[in-house]
Parts: sequence; C-alpha cells; structure tokens
Amino acid sequence: MSSSDGIGRLRAIERQFDRDRISVADLKSLEDIRTRYLSRKAGLLTLELQNLGKLPKDQRADFGRVANEVKLKIEASLDTLQATIAEREKQTALGREALDVTLPGNRRRVGHRHPLTIIRNEIEDIFVSMGYTVEDGPEVESTYYNFDALNFPAGHPARDPRDTFYVSEHMILRTHTSPVQVRTMEKIQPPVRIICPGRVFRRDAFDPTHSPMFHQVECLVVDEGITFADLKGTLERFHKRFFGEKTKTRLRPSFFPFVEPGAEVDVSCVFCDGSGCRVCKGTGWIEVMGAGMVHPNLYQFVNYDADKYTGFAFGGGIDRYTALKYNINDLQLFFQNDIRFLGQFA
Amino acid sequence: MKVGYRWLQEFVDIPETPQQLADRFTNVGLAVDALEIAGSDAIFELDVATNRPDCLSHLGVAREIAAIYGSELRTPKFQLREAEHRAADVFSISISDPDLCARYCGRYIAGVKIGPSPDWLKARLELLGVRPINNVADVTNYVMLGLGQPLHAFDADTLAGQQIIVRRADLDEKMTTLDEVERQLDPSMLVIADAKRAVAVAGVMGGAETEISSATKNVLLESANFDPLSIRKTSRALGLTTEASYRFERGADVEMARFACDRAAVLIEEVAGGTIFRDVIDVYPRRRTPVTATLRRQKIQGFLGVPVEDAIVEGIFQRLGFNITKHSHDGWTVEVPSHRVDISREEDLLDEIARHHGFDRFPSTLPKWSGFGSHLPFESDERFLRSRLAAAGYSETIPMAFSDESTERKVRPQIAPVKLINPMAENEAVLRTSLIPSMLRTIQWNTYHGIRDLQLYELGKVYWDGGETRSLIVAATGSLRPKSVHEAEREFGFYDIKGDVEDLLRSFNVAMQSAVNSVPAYYHPGRSVRLGDLVVFGELHPDYARDYKMRHRIYIAEFDIQLLFESRIRGSIEAVPRFPSIRRDLSLLLSKGIKYAEVEQAVRSVAIPELAGVEPFDRLESGSFPESKYALAISLTYQSEDRTLTDDEVDVFDRRILESLTERLGAELRQ
Repeated sequence: MSSSDGIGRLRAIERQFDRDRISVADLKSLEDIRTRYLSRKAGLLTLELQNLGKLPKDQRADFGRVANEVKLKIEASLDTLQATIAEREKQTALGREALDVTLPGNRRRVGHRHPLTIIRNEIEDIFVSMGYTVEDGPEVESTYYNFDALNFPAGHPARDPRDTFYVSEHMILRTHTSPVQVRTMEKIQPPVRIICPGRVFRRDAFDPTHSPMFHQVECLVVDEGITFADLKGTLERFHKRFFGEKTKTRLRPSFFPFVEPGAEVDVSCVFCDGSGCRVCKGTGWIEVMGAGMVHPNLYQFVNYDADKYTGFAFGGGIDRYTALKYNINDLQLFFQNDIRFLGQFA
Repeated sequence: MKVGYRWLQEFVDIPETPQQLADRFTNVGLAVDALEIAGSDAIFELDVATNRPDCLSHLGVAREIAAIYGSELRTPKFQLREAEHRAADVFSISISDPDLCARYCGRYIAGVKIGPSPDWLKARLELLGVRPINNVADVTNYVMLGLGQPLHAFDADTLAGQQIIVRRADLDEKMTTLDEVERQLDPSMLVIADAKRAVAVAGVMGGAETEISSATKNVLLESANFDPLSIRKTSRALGLTTEASYRFERGADVEMARFACDRAAVLIEEVAGGTIFRDVIDVYPRRRTPVTATLRRQKIQGFLGVPVEDAIVEGIFQRLGFNITKHSHDGWTVEVPSHRVDISREEDLLDEIARHHGFDRFPSTLPKWSGFGSHLPFESDERFLRSRLAAAGYSETIPMAFSDESTERKVRPQIAPVKLINPMAENEAVLRTSLIPSMLRTIQWNTYHGIRDLQLYELGKVYWDGGETRSLIVAATGSLRPKSVHEAEREFGFYDIKGDVEDLLRSFNVAMQSAVNSVPAYYHPGRSVRLGDLVVFGELHPDYARDYKMRHRIYIAEFDIQLLFESRIRGSIEAVPRFPSIRRDLSLLLSKGIKYAEVEQAVRSVAIPELAGVEPFDRLESGSFPESKYALAISLTYQSEDRTLTDDEVDVFDRRILESLTERLGAELRQ
C-alpha cells in the first residue's frame, strides 16, 4: 500500500461526493450523505482515514494533508447545502402562511365629532389665541337682554312673534347670542374682549338655508381707544386664520340696532378665490357676518362711560361657517344626524 | 325696493353705468339684491335698511347718488294752477288723535275724468312691477315711488258729510278694504273716517266703498304722516302690508306731505283733467322740532381710527343736506334734514362720514392689549370626553331641541317643560327635558335609512321651566362588529355599554359607586343599573323602544356631566411592580341566583393585601353539575411589593379565599 493509492482513493471519494451532493434535496437526505461520508464509525472518509496508520511514515504527511483537504471540502460543502436547504424550507413554510393581503383589514368602529363641534372648537381656538375669553349664557332668555338692552325699540320687527319664539310675555328663546354680551358687560368693567358661541332660535321653517335652531358666535371688545380700524383688522385676521391667508375681507355699510356704523361682512369666495362661481353667485364675495361699532345706547344699560370707552362687535353663524368650510349646501344635514353624513368628519 | 336708472336720472346726473352705480350703492350701504338691464334702462332691486326710509323713493336714492358723485339734486318743478274755489269751503279735515297722526294734507280736485293712464305713466309703473289701475290711482303710486310719500285718493262724493276725521277705530267697527276683505278694527287702530264711518285704515289701505271708480267725478287727495309704531301694529294685526304701511312704519318725511300733495294734484289734472281747488287743507298739529347734532373732530380719529380732512367731512354733510350751523376747531354742529329720521347723535354722524368716505379707506389694525384668553370652564374636560367617546366608536349628534310635552313627560314625568306660545308645529311646542326622545328619533331616522348598527352620543342641553343644563347621552344598537370575511357578527350587548361606561368613569378617575336598582321606567328592569346620580345605563325597555317602532335592542347611558367633570381627579401614577405576580384560577360551583358582586365581595372580605386583582373569566350555566348550580371560573392575581411570593404562601391565600366563598355563599370547588 502506498500513499498514492490512498490519495487516489481519497480523490475518488471526493468525486463521488460531488456526484452524490447533487441529489441532496432536503434536510433528511443531507443527513444521510453526511453520515455516509463523515460518520465516526462507518463514514467513507472516516474508514479511509483509518488506513493512515498502515502507511509508511514518510508518506503519512501527504496522505494526511489530502485527507484533511477532502474532509474540509466535504464539510464546507455540507454546511453550504444545509444553509441553502434550511433557507428554502423556511421560504416554503412562509409561503404556506401567505394570506390574501388584498382582502380588507379588520375595521374597528371609530366615532366622529359633529362638524358643528369641529368648527366651533376651531373658531374658539383662534379667538382664545388672540386673547379672547369664551363666555356663554342661557338660551331661554328675557326680552330685556335679547332686545331692550341691545337697543331694539319696542315694536321692532325682530320682536314679532312671527320671528321669535315666546315662552311668556317677557321670556323668549334667544334670537342671537348678543344677550351674553350684555350679561358680561353687567358683570365686569372694560376691558372686555369675549366671544360667545351658542345656540339660537328663530321662527324660520326648515329649508336648505334656514333652520329654526342654529348656532352663532359673536365677539365683543370694549376698551379705551377701540376703533373701526380695529374692527376691520380683527375681522381680516380671523378670516385669514379660518379660511386661509389668501382670504380677503370686505365691510359693506348696513344697519343693526346695536351697532353704528354697522356693516355686513363679506369674505372673498372660498370656492373660487373671488373669481366668481355658483356659490358666490358670480360676485366673488360671500356674506358671513354682521358687524359694527357698539352703539353708545348699549353702554347706558350697563353703566359704562360712553365718552371713555368705544368698542366693536360682530357675529356670524357657526352653521354657515361650517357649510362654507366643507362646501355643504343644505343646513338640514347638520340636524338630521344621518351617520352617512356624520361619518365623513374626523 | 325697485328703482329705475332712467327715472333716477330725472333727479340727478349719473356719470357712471348702472353696473358701476350698483357697486357704489353697495359701498354706501344700499344693498343691491339684483340689477336687471331692461333695454336702455336698468332696474335696481335695493334692500334698504330699516333705518333708512328716506331711501324708499327715487328722490331719496337720488340724494345718495348726489352725495356719491358730488352732483346736483333736482327736485321736481311744476306749475300749480288753482281754481277760485277754496278746498276748505267744500271739505273739512280734523285730527282727533294727533299722537298717531302728525299731519294730514288734503286737496280737492273737481271734475276729473277717470280712465286709463297715458302710456308714459303706465310704462313707468310697469317697469317697476306696479300694475296700472286708473289715471288717478296711478298718479298716487307714481308720486309715492318718486317722492316717497304714500298718498290716497277718495271719491269725494262717497264721503258722508264732506269731511275727513282722523280718529281711532271704534270698538267692533268693521270696514271693507280695497282688496274686498272685511276688516275687524279696534281702538288701537287709526282710521280715516267721514261723518258716518271708517273709510280707510290710516296709512295701510283705503276702503272699497270710497275708492276711485269709473264714475268718480271729484277727488279728495290725502297726503298724511302717521305714527310708525301704530302703523306697524295695525299692519301686523290685520296681516296686511302695503307699500304705504311699509313706508309709514319705517318713518316718512313729515315735511314732504304738502309738496307731494301738490305734485300729485298737478299730475292728476294733467292726466285726468279737472280743477284743483285753491289751497291744501293742511292740518299739522305736531310740528317737527328741528334736530341738531354735533360731531367732534377728535372723535373721528378716536372712533374710526384715522383723521378725515375737514373739507371731506363738510362736503359729505353738504351733499347729504345737513346744514352746518356751527363750525369751530372742535368740530361741527349740523341741522338734520327732516327726511333723516335715523339721525340724532354724534355716532350717527360718524356713520355718515364712514359710509360716504368709504369703509375701504380706513386702515386695518388690531386692538392693543395685554393679558390672555381662556376657554369656558370644563372645555378641556369636554374635549377629552369627546375624544374618548370617538375612540370608543361613538359619533356625535346634534338634534333639534324641540319636542312635544307628552313625549317628554313619558321620560321625565316630574319635569315641567318650557312651553312655547308660538311653536312652529304642535309636536314642537316644548323644549326637550331629556336627551332620550331626540336620540331615539335619530336612531329611528338612521334605521329607516337602512343603517341598523349605530353608536351615537349627544352632549347637549336639556331645559325645564326655570333652568337649563348640559347633559350626556350615549346610545348603541345593532352590531358592535358586522360580519366580515374575517370575523363573525357580534351584537352590541349590555356588557358592551357597561364596559364603555366603566371606561369613561375610569378615564375621569371617578370611583365606581355602588349600584342602586332604581332605574327609570323606560329601562329594561333586569338589564339596567344606576350609579348614584352620576350615570344610569342599560337596555331600553322594549315597550318604550316600540313607541319608536324599533324592534332591535337599544342600549343607552345617561350621564350627569357636571358631576362627572367636577369629580374628575388626577390619579396618582404608580411605579411598575418589581416582583413577579402569581395568577391562580378557581373554578367554582355556585347556586343560581348568586351574583358576581357577592362573589367578589366574599373574595375581598378576606383582606389579603397581596391580592391585586379578581377577574371572572368563564361562566357555564349547565354541565356535569346539578341544574341548580352554575360554574364560575375566576382568576386571582397576587402581587407583593417587596418580595417574590412563594407557592406555599399563595396556597394559603387560595385556601382562605375558598373558605370564605364556601362559608358565605356555599361555593364548592368544581372538580
């Protein structure tokens, strides 16, 4: 026996392994082949190595080197095979777990805030950030606070039972949130800077633009040195914050008993940016508020010094602002509470 | 009110087109509702503010135009030819109630020939949508539209006693007006009467018996001034609004009455012939006292924000017809013209300056102040509450506050509702006393529209005679989860509403109060709970649900939010335990009828400080045990703050708890 015979056999084992290796397809056959070649008792390579002792001493080194080389190669090859097969089997297992990811997900029901609440919060937040305090008051109100103290003369059409809900001769459902202004001025001396959001009532039949119950927000500022220019600036600032910085505000002279000068407030149409569309009836402007300088008659009712203080007030419909913000053309939707409508709001 | 562009041009030169003029109108406060181009003419539909009756005529609108452009105002010129006969010789006029009639002018025109108006007159009226009647009636309308003074023409021969008496109506007096309706009058109303009867409702409408007819020969022409409030009340009481009442109730120019009377007489002579008797019979018991007002120069800047040049201020006064009677460094005193019934004080003058100088000429500034703003008390609690409810799947509703008393009384029998004297409808005659009926109507609405699965809430006001408060209702019906490709359907149940109530209370750190079994009658008696005054919840009584034609189970919870908000506390936050906890399960057999609360009570009565939690996790009504029993599995969690518990220790705890359960409730351990 010579080392060359031994090395030849080692090479034959190596070639045989290379042939056998190809048929290895899974972990089971991988284990078989490992046993066949490397088993401590009966592995082909192990058996061959037992011949080492039979070799002449001077040939042992060569044989040993080749044997080791073949062993390492087989081991490395088996490791690579093992990793490949393991990866393939893992992929197969994951593939079996695959779901139809195009099916819709499980939905948990999430509730929605009413759009009028969303907008009321938004308006309140703008004014609070500008330094205003939010006030409220009763909805069943006296004619004194709703009319008399706001400079509505006896017999004014707004007092007519065709327009105002009466509870008794002197108690009504408030037709605006202005009574809160009077109640606040009764409580504190200037400076006054408040907004009053709330629910109001007028005897209008339900239609897309009218509702016997709706919501208003009013603003009142009374202090020394408050001017008409302050009114203009405040309205502009608010509308830019609410509708966007591009928004323009316009005041048109008008008349309300509790202000003078009085004005209607228009904003540049939020739908066409003022170029004219169906909503603004081609004018580029949308009427949103009434405004003006506080009528000095009001100060007499609350014992303010009319020569010392001036002020402004304005008010608009929260429902209207909401309709404009979301492009809703029917106020009735707000009070029907159809979940298909409510579900569209965050 | 409609005004014609051509007609306006008779009173004033207009240097701009109708469209440009419309923008000018807008800028001075004459709101233009519509502008209609009609051939070479144009019709403006103006929305004149209630305080500006002076603009309810072409002359009045022309006056504003004159002020806008600085052009000359032309009042109509005419030649009056009077007969020798004096009107006062054939007719007498007296005013019994001068408080309601400041002035009454009358003219007598004899020998007219009634017929259709000439084409120019008919065309004028028709252009503004006024139907021509006959030449005399048309003239009265024409002068009213031109000068703003309402007029009335009587057939003088139908007036008994050749006299006019302006007086209050008698009790139970009746009269048939021009529109052939018999009107019931009363002493609050002013009438024009002859010697025998009322012949016109003063300032509102003439009577049928004395109207101009084709047979009329002699005319008595009325041009008067009546008290605005009285006219308004009469008009409302009779449900009758006319062009005349519309102007009188806002305030007509008392100094225009005589001029308009002359103008109309001349036009009647022109289109209907006849002779104008000499002199206006002018009864003017309440002469107008001149009104002056003062504007201080410094007020302009102080009130409007910037100064306005003297020349501009004076120009505006002059063009609007305000005579400056005094001018000093401090300011101006002006005499207010009689047609401006709205002006008496400094702010009124500032308004005129602001309007005619132009609102857009004033700068935009922000008020200067120190300090900070704030929300309503409890606003942050409310927002927190809304976010919790939304996360739990509830959507917010805002229903109408109106209801009917029987519906409300069914829910709140003890509460007297706020009743409306003039509701819109019978079933909207009170304000709601609870949130329940409106919530059920909302559920009904959605159900009728095919949406059965609902979780809703409302944070809204309820009212009673003498007060109002905010309240919260939470409601659910149908499926909590609809059937899907992934999951079976899951109906909303009692324990779902209970869980949501518990979550809400927990999120406000409100301790669960003990349950009291006195729920209102509209709750299912076996499926409802009241926790003090804070909340009552459960399934709606099926009888009550049936009132709303609801066949499905409806769950509701009513909260006193004020109590909820006020009892909210910031709970202290505890560190995470350092030692492991041990969980033990006990499977018990209990007699049917024993409630879980008793079980938990029996467990807790042992007072083991290491017992951190008790939780039921399974319940069997029947199985391999007697029918009188049920099986309940509970888990007990033990936790120590300072050591890891040993099995031996916990075995002892378990045994003591089981002993308590056996002793108090006869519980057995299920094998």
